[in-house]
Amino acid sequence: MDNILEVKNLKISFRTSSGILKAVRNISFNLKRGETLAIVGESGSGKSVTSKAILGILAGNSIVESGEILYDGRDMLKISEEEMCKIRGDKISMIFQDPLSSLDPIVKIGRQITEAMLLKNKTNRKRARAEFNSMLECLKQNMTEAAESHPEIDAAKIPEMIETFDGFNILAIKLENAYNLSSNYAEGLLSDIKDFVFRASKKQRVEVKKTLLEFVSILKLVKNPFFSAGADGEIDTLCNEIALERKAYTVAKDENGAAQPYLLSDRLLSALERTEQLLERLLAAEKPNFFRIGYYLLRNPEASLDYRDIAGVNQMALEYLNREYMEEFISYEELAIRHSYASSLAKKREALSVLDGVRKYFSSERLIPSEAKAEVKRAVDAVENAIDRLEYIKDNVAYTFGGSLQSAVDKYFRYESLNPKEEKRYEKQSARREALVARGKKVDWRVAPKNVYDLDELRAEIISVIDRLAAVYNRALDAEGERDIHAHAVGLIDYLKGRASEVVYRVTKRMARDKAIKLMEEVGIPDARIRFKQYPFEFSGGMRQRIVIAIALAANPDVLICDEPTTALDVTIQAQILELINKLKRERNLSVIFITHDLGVVANMADRIAVMYAGKIVEEGTSEDVFYDPRHPYTWALLSSMPDLDTSERLDAIPGTPPNLIYPPVGDAFAPRNKYAMKIDFEMPPPMFEISETHRAATWLLHPDAPHVDIPKTIRDRIERMKTRNGGGSDGE
Amino acid sequence: MENKIPNDVLLRVDNLSQFFKLGKRELRAVDHVSFDIKKGEVFGLVGESGCGKTTTGRSIIKIHKITGGSVFYKGQRIAAGTRDYTDKISALKKEYAEKIKTAEGGDKKALRAERNRLIAKVRAEMKAAVKDAGDCDKSYAARLVSELDERYKPLIREASEAGNSEELARLKREYGEKRRIAKNTRLVTQIQMIFQDPVSSLNPRMTVREIISEGLVINGIRDREYIDERVYEILELVGLVREHAGRYPHEFSGGQKQRIGIARSVIMRPEMIIADEPVSALDVSIQAQVINLLSELKEQFGLTVLFIAHDLSVVKYFSDRIGVMYFGKLVELADSEELFKHPLHPYTRSLLSAIPLPDPISEKKRKRIVYNALAEHDYSVDKPSLREISEGHFVYCNDAEENKYRKELDCE
Repeated sequence: MDNILEVKNLKISFRTSSGILKAVRNISFNLKRGETLAIVGESGSGKSVTSKAILGILAGNSIVESGEILYDGRDMLKISEEEMCKIRGDKISMIFQDPLSSLDPIVKIGRQITEAMLLKNKTNRKRARAEFNSMLECLKQNMTEAAESHPEIDAAKIPEMIETFDGFNILAIKLENAYNLSSNYAEGLLSDIKDFVFRASKKQRVEVKKTLLEFVSILKLVKNPFFSAGADGEIDTLCNEIALERKAYTVAKDENGAAQPYLLSDRLLSALERTEQLLERLLAAEKPNFFRIGYYLLRNPEASLDYRDIAGVNQMALEYLNREYMEEFISYEELAIRHSYASSLAKKREALSVLDGVRKYFSSERLIPSEAKAEVKRAVDAVENAIDRLEYIKDNVAYTFGGSLQSAVDKYFRYESLNPKEEKRYEKQSARREALVARGKKVDWRVAPKNVYDLDELRAEIISVIDRLAAVYNRALDAEGERDIHAHAVGLIDYLKGRASEVVYRVTKRMARDKAIKLMEEVGIPDARIRFKQYPFEFSGGMRQRIVIAIALAANPDVLICDEPTTALDVTIQAQILELINKLKRERNLSVIFITHDLGVVANMADRIAVMYAGKIVEEGTSEDVFYDPRHPYTWALLSSMPDLDTSERLDAIPGTPPNLIYPPVGDAFAPRNKYAMKIDFEMPPPMFEISETHRAATWLLHPDAPHVDIPKTIRDRIERMKTRNGGGSDGE
Repeated sequence: MENKIPNDVLLRVDNLSQFFKLGKRELRAVDHVSFDIKKGEVFGLVGESGCGKTTTGRSIIKIHKITGGSVFYKGQRIAAGTRDYTDKISALKKEYAEKIKTAEGGDKKALRAERNRLIAKVRAEMKAAVKDAGDCDKSYAARLVSELDERYKPLIREASEAGNSEELARLKREYGEKRRIAKNTRLVTQIQMIFQDPVSSLNPRMTVREIISEGLVINGIRDREYIDERVYEILELVGLVREHAGRYPHEFSGGQKQRIGIARSVIMRPEMIIADEPVSALDVSIQAQVINLLSELKEQFGLTVLFIAHDLSVVKYFSDRIGVMYFGKLVELADSEELFKHPLHPYTRSLLSAIPLPDPISEKKRKRIVYNALAEHDYSVDKPSLREISEGHFVYCNDAEENKYRKELDCE
């Protein structure tokens, strides 16, 4: 299992009216693919702040002091807002704590779910078009350059070849567009008919005449030479049938004379059912490969093909394409890729030496803004040059290098000028306070601590940005010659095809609605069709939370952050929601960060647990480690303060409240509330002690010189009980 | 019914119904719920959100005007609803309308008279019940006043006979003050409520002193020193300090706010407390503090508690008896040990199967039981009611299910 998300040495604080609040104080953890990490702690322990930092939605008064959040090679704390927009909601999604306040009360549920889908689709299409064009342009350029050193390439042929590629792709796009349109109409019509019949059967209000007219007009639009090949006649008959039924329709009345507009004639129902069947059959049919057919039709505009046999046409077009064009194109393409690869490697070597120089500069004694600016520019230019533009799997570290380096350097100079001011303020205020104290006055205010950055640390950050890229380059250089050029060439064509079809893939409102209804059913909302048109206030708390989950899942994310998703819900709904998250996690191979203050909830969910207190992780381990062998006094306190079904003795409440993080404690933050606290706990913060490969805890009790302290009796008893209940199975694990 | 209430029952809820109007329809939030709470016990009420457990608590303390049924406190009816009587009357009307239609000339008159007599009887019952409930505060105040009279009259007479004018003046002043307060006292003040959300249940513009002493002030106590003394005493009792009295609610953490809410309800020296999810809005570590505080207060004052919550482990820990509610109905009622050992109603079983436990291995094996009311019961012919299956263990069921449950209990 590889790490999908890494948080390293994260420090976050907030500017408040009474001083700088250190909310997160140096935490590190990583999230593996497909696992659930639970972060447990009291309110104010910084768990929500951490998750918000990952998504870049921290409040305006927050300061990220240092640290890295690495996702897919990118540092989420340094990338630009545009980059962030591509990740937030799309790759990493969040379920918020309060379902009431995270939904818009005056927008219908349906629109809230589909909104993101529609917007994303629009931008995706624009982006895909731009990427397609630039990649093709780049390929052409590289082919021309490669032709200079390879006499076997006919340089004159290249422009034509690229033009053909572009040409048949565009033709394919056009055909596919028409096909997709028809298929979308069919899909929408299918769900509309289902909706109509469903509503009628539930005796709900239906407008029969209007709806049937719409059905007929849409059914006519379904016709397409590819999509409805051979079924056009059938469609016409159905159109006529429905139109006739529409004419014959009259509103039925019951014995009391009340109108029953939902009563439909049997003939109408059968016509609708047959329409449904036809549409389902058409939608299930094999999709033509427009990429191949496009080329065939480009070369033979007059040809007439029998589209009823889609598989045969696909096969024939494939052979034609390979014979006439593709083989040659791929051979050219391979040369271009080889050329680009080689030149990029050479440039990478150059860039490495440049980076080395830049690194030396930033490690030097004194930095001058103008010089630093020139150095940054030198490094960024070299790196930009060295990017292999024909690489379709983008190397994110290189792409975001410029922004990351720039922001790190900016931060350094900003605090270089701000630090002295802050020092001065601190000295002035302390002096004033001391003067007041010396005069014997009672001073009821404290001096806000210095908000001074360690410049060396900031400098180390700059260097780490450079080092990270250098490491990636070194790895690329070591792997020289291992690249499979042919596979890459095929991959590149697939990439171009993918972009082209992304340009075509148009999500209409109707499609988005169908997808949303499917999602709502997936998260367990009954009568999704009716629910779709309701407002949030018409839902109960559990249902609202499901809507929030559906919205979070709409974009198919890699990582799901759940911020106390069940705190506002009661046990049965909580169990349902937890099961739902577990099920979705399995089905979609999600990685989940689960934030909660209730240890009972995570026993079922978590693979690993991190216990947070006062902005630090105090214990970390697999759920078995934490529940069966807890080591930190805070974990003990958390476990013993909640009653389970066998508890009868007095609860072990944690005395007091969490510390005020504007004045963070010097030693262990938990010491004042900890009955096992030793003298050293008040003087020095404990380091992380490794207990096993997976289990770590930060408490002085684990130090070899510490006195031996037993786990409190209540927890020991409980673990014993659990072990006997599980048949001693937990001993071996 | 009133006569039969045993002495150890502090609160009896008898067929309590609370319906809310929703346009033309009615929402049956609480539907014919009956239970007794004995003196000094903790009665837990559990169920998922929207099942009417909070509404039950609020109806008992007369925040809502109840639709049907009665609430008895110490044998005195404190709330009465009219719905059951009006239902009975309309049923009678319907029944006799049919009979009169089919009857012959002379019989019609007799039937009409009979109908009117029956209806008048029900009406009289209804009126008596409403009056009974309406007078509860008055009669309670009258009783307090007469008790005071008994205590002070002889003292005053003695003093006047002895000619001790100073003592006489003091006694008269004290008597007058106490009599005024007693006249104002309402029976319901003996029941106090702790609300779910500590943030929204405290007025942000009042200081803690004002919030806590509000009940005393409303009751007619004007002595500032006495009020302050009581406030400080109560603050220390709930684990806060004197200095907190001058602050505003926003300056406190969630747990402290809940302590203020508890202080506010305890200062009236109630005999019964309705705790409506007092810990569900709090962090785990603070929850334990508040629960410990509640049990200390319970010991100290001999409080009776109606504990409403959805967290079953907390309810189990805190309550002596537990009632399970589902969609406005009380479906199961038993001692807490018994309920967890032998849950009979399928809804209770599904509820128990959903409790999360801090035990990963058994958690991963846990199978949740899904309760579907429609699939589970067939009440089309055989109508259900709350029946006693074994001693003190009531289940809402019909005849067939009753037999089934009895067998299940016997087997174990």
